[in-house]
Amino acid sequence: MMNDPICHRLRELMWRRKLTAAEEAELRAWLETHPAAREDWEAEAGLAAALERLPDTAVPNNFTARVLQAVEREAAAARRRTGGGLWRRLGWLPRAAVATGVLGVGLIACHQMQSVERKKLAESVIAVADIPSLPSPDILQDFDAIRASYPAAAPDEQLLALLK
Amino acid sequence: MSAERDPDAALMLRVKQGDMQAFADLVDKYKQAVMNLANRMLRDATEAEDLSQMVFVQVFKSAHRYKVSSKFSTWLFTIARNLCLNEIRRRSRHPTDSLEARSSEPGEPPAPQFEDKAVVSPPDRLLHGELEAKIQQALAELPEKQRLAILLCRQEDFSYEDIARVLGSSVSATKSLIYRGRETLKQKLKPYLESGAWKDAG
Repeated sequence: MMNDPICHRLRELMWRRKLTAAEEAELRAWLETHPAAREDWEAEAGLAAALERLPDTAVPNNFTARVLQAVEREAAAARRRTGGGLWRRLGWLPRAAVATGVLGVGLIACHQMQSVERKKLAESVIAVADIPSLPSPDILQDFDAIRASYPAAAPDEQLLALLK
Repeated sequence: MSAERDPDAALMLRVKQGDMQAFADLVDKYKQAVMNLANRMLRDATEAEDLSQMVFVQVFKSAHRYKVSSKFSTWLFTIARNLCLNEIRRRSRHPTDSLEARSSEPGEPPAPQFEDKAVVSPPDRLLHGELEAKIQQALAELPEKQRLAILLCRQEDFSYEDIARVLGSSVSATKSLIYRGRETLKQKLKPYLESGAWKDAG
């Protein structure tokens, strides 16, 4: 019954406003043929009237003046916060251009640093590669035996005396 | 919606150019509706006043974002809705002590209660006041979105599409919210609605 198109339409109208005389008459005619819905419609009408009768909240006389003052305060605070008024007036395009420039310079500097690092690394590798090869450790295999066979020579006493 | 057809949109165009008189006209036109909504959402007249002020300050600050293609009242009530819901959420995160609880220190006897002799309470006013309090109470107990939908329904010149836009829901979801909210209200207020008190009150 509540899905009846007439009932549905009139109900949605009543939610928002008072029914017109024509709509009231339509509702009465509909209720004649649907008496079981009468109780629910009375509750609907009662609720609509009760909500309608809710009193307005008191608005102070100086409400508008206070809002205007608050707006002024906000505007003054905003002006103080943004000392760089020129920057604010620039708009988004110049800001985007400056941001792109800064980003570009940053990228170039980063690239330059990487190139210098790579060059230093290459130079170090070349320096290591240029060292002549050391003698093979095999030539020292008899070092201890030779050293034992030839005890250290005694100091030349005569020569030392002459030198003195 | 063009500025020629919507006088509020025309005023907003002037506000965008910094016309304070146009802004004052808009505040004058909508302050009552915004105050009613805020008070019925927050159930605190002082907070409702502060919040309504914030709504209009926000309107001014966001004027540059306003598109003439949208209805001004829908835009205004969307701001009001956001601020009301933010305040309700803030309250639920930081519940404050009630004034009664703060009125006396622990151990101190409670302050004496004085009768308010300025208020005359003849039976009809009592009935009206009681009914009004019951409606306010029942409204306050509804889920926020249902309450908001029902309150916006009473806003003149608001279509269901407008209400849906403010709520950020579809039209069918909005109607469903209103239906469920009203069914709950009818159940809670049944004794009053059946008694016909709403017909006599006021």
